Amino acid sequence: MCYYFYRMDFKKPHYRHLAEKWAKRNENYIQKLINEHKEAFEWLAQNTKKLAISSLAGLFIISSPLIAKLTPTTVSAEKSIDRNVFLVSDLSHVLPDEVGPLSEFREKEVEEILERTFKLKIKAQLNGIRLNTTYGKIGAEQHLSRYPGDNIVTHLDSEEEAKEYWSAGMAPGLGGWGYFADSQSETTEKEKMREKYYIAVQAFLAPGFNEDRQRYLDFFKFRKMLVVNPHNGKAVVAVIGDAGPAAWTGKQLGGSPEVMKYLQRYDGRQVRGVLYFFIDDPNDEVPLGPLE
Amino acid sequence: MNYNNIMKKKRFYAHLVETSSITVELADMELSQEERLHLLNLVNSNIHNSVLETVLSNLASEDKKIFLANLHSNDHDKIWSHLKSKIENIEEKIKESIEDLKKELQKDIAEAKKAI
Repeated sequence: MCYYFYRMDFKKPHYRHLAEKWAKRNENYIQKLINEHKEAFEWLAQNTKKLAISSLAGLFIISSPLIAKLTPTTVSAEKSIDRNVFLVSDLSHVLPDEVGPLSEFREKEVEEILERTFKLKIKAQLNGIRLNTTYGKIGAEQHLSRYPGDNIVTHLDSEEEAKEYWSAGMAPGLGGWGYFADSQSETTEKEKMREKYYIAVQAFLAPGFNEDRQRYLDFFKFRKMLVVNPHNGKAVVAVIGDAGPAAWTGKQLGGSPEVMKYLQRYDGRQVRGVLYFFIDDPNDEVPLGPLE
Repeated sequence: MNYNNIMKKKRFYAHLVETSSITVELADMELSQEERLHLLNLVNSNIHNSVLETVLSNLASEDKKIFLANLHSNDHDKIWSHLKSKIENIEEKIKESIEDLKKELQKDIAEAKKAI
């Protein structure tokens, strides 16, 4: 079913009439284009992989549903196009120009795009709790102490890591939920990954936070989130490991050095937006880290 | 509500499209902002695909590829110089296809209004 029909069952009849009819007409156009100009679109599909994603982000104006409908002979070409291209293209149609809270309608569209792309259960609101926004500017955070005595020397496991992440430094204080483990010997791979891939969110600005602080804090502690750079399609599964940044900074969340590097997001004048949604993962099955 | 995203990417045929009659018709209907935005997005998608169909149907195989590559790089000058060299009265043809589509869309709106 075309996603334009999403949740239209309870809408006004005249809206539904037009939306269904116009979505159908659009589908017919796409089908006709594919049937009659297949060779040219196949050629485009095979050649777009050579172009930079950054150029595709703003300019990929052939709709992805059209490319997606190409017949099986095109499947290999379709596969060769980076999934990120489709994601960037799809998101560019639904995200506003300015970074900021999305309307419920837009949020649902984004949820659907992310679910379809990553095959995860993505929620703007989970267990009745939501953050102040799902589309915010991300700043750079520092490494967090995982256990008492953890410092920049013990923190980085290899020369490569040291080279890459030393300069980010250690945060002077602990994360919002204290240490990740009680001691070095009790620090498992799980805690290491939580610290590597953590984000700081403005939990204190979540609607309803002040009415039930403990419930909210328990909910946010190491809660898994999908963080997506909508401009290059890079996505990472991270946990909420800290609270912040302060509202006056103009940023809405922070990312660990590893998160920032993978997403290719930067602080300072280059601060830009990311999408961040809860992952509904009650059995803790979704691994942390980049979604390649 | 940010309506800018409806026409965030300026299309090469933007100067040939005039959709205010449809916008006015939709403005006249009882719709939420989101519903109105959704419908306007559908109008734009329909127009875009109708223009693609008009252009591609008038091009030879190799020229279709050139057109799609130019479209992909969103280079309006290149698109127009290529199209004008290959299709006679291309602007008129695009205009006509858009006008035909608009008539259809207006018919749909009239039908929908009866359902109110």
